[in-house]
Amino acid sequence: MNSPPRVRVYILTWVGLMALLAASFTAAHFRLGPANAAVGLAIAAAKVALVGLFFMHLRRASALIAVFAAGALFWIAILFGLSGADYATRSITPAPWSAPDGH
Amino acid sequence: MSARPGVVPVDVPWRRETASLGMWIFLATELMFFGVLFLAYAHARIADPEGIATASRLTHAWLGTINTAILLTSSLTMALAVRSGWAGHRTLVIRLLWITAVLGAAFLAVKGAEYALEWRDGLVPGLRFTYAGPERQGVETFFLLYFVMTGVHAVHLTIGVGLVAWLAVRDRDPSHPVRRRETAECLGLYWHFVDCVWIFLYPLIYLVELWR
Repeated sequence: MNSPPRVRVYILTWVGLMALLAASFTAAHFRLGPANAAVGLAIAAAKVALVGLFFMHLRRASALIAVFAAGALFWIAILFGLSGADYATRSITPAPWSAPDGH
Repeated sequence: MSARPGVVPVDVPWRRETASLGMWIFLATELMFFGVLFLAYAHARIADPEGIATASRLTHAWLGTINTAILLTSSLTMALAVRSGWAGHRTLVIRLLWITAVLGAAFLAVKGAEYALEWRDGLVPGLRFTYAGPERQGVETFFLLYFVMTGVHAVHLTIGVGLVAWLAVRDRDPSHPVRRRETAECLGLYWHFVDCVWIFLYPLIYLVELWR
C-alpha cells in the first residue's frame, strides 16, 4: 500500500458511477413492478461497492480493516433481519403488548 | 523514537493503519445510526406502498439526480486529493480539497432549494403540511422520514464541508507534511461514507414510481 493507485483507476470509477446513475434514472421511467425497487437498490449497492473498493481503498486494505467493514454490514443485516422477522410474523404470533391491529 | 511516553511516534508504519481502523469503527456506528432510519423507511413502505409512491412523485427527481451527480463527483475530487497527498503534491491537494468543498456546498444549495419548494407546496409535516389529496397519511409519513433522513445527511455533509475547508487551509502550512496523510485519508473515508448514504437515499426518495 506504499505507492498510490493510478489516477486512471479513480477516473474510471467515477465514469462507472455516473453510468450507473444514468442507468438508475432511466430504468425508473419504465414500469417494472417490484423490479423497479430491486433495480434501484441493486444499482445503489453496485455504486457503494465501487466507492468502497476504489475510493475508500478497501481493495488494498488490510484484513483487519476489511473485517471491520464487513462487520458493519453484518450488524446492519442483523438489524434488518431480526426486525423484519418480527414485523413479518406479528400477525401470526402477536407480542403481548401489540396494538389490536397487530402493528 | 519519541521521548515522551504515551505519544505515538509519527513515522511508525502502523500509524496510518491505526487511524484508518479507528475511522472504520466510527463509520460502523454511523451505519447503525442511519440503518435505523432506513429500517423505518422500509417498514413505512411495506405497510403503505401506495402512500409512499404517491409522496415520491411529489419530489423533484431531476434535482435529486443532479445532486447525486454532484456528490459522486465530489467523491472523485476527494479521493484524488487523498491520492495527491500520497504522491506528495501539496498544491494539488489544496486545489482538490477546495473543489470538493465547493461541490459539497453546491449539493447543500440544491437541497436547500428543494426544501424551499416543499415548504411552498406545504409538504413539511408538523410545520406546514397542507397536502389534502388521497393517501394523505402515507404522504405525511414519507415526508417526515424524508426530512429526517435528508436533514441528518445534510448535517453530516455540512460538517464534512467544514472539515475539508479546514484541511485545505491547514495544508498550506509547510510544517504539515502532506505525505503523512492520515487526516486526509480519514476525512476521505468520512466523505465517501456520507456519499454512500446518499447513494441509497436517491432511489428510495426519488425513483419509487417515476414511470407514472
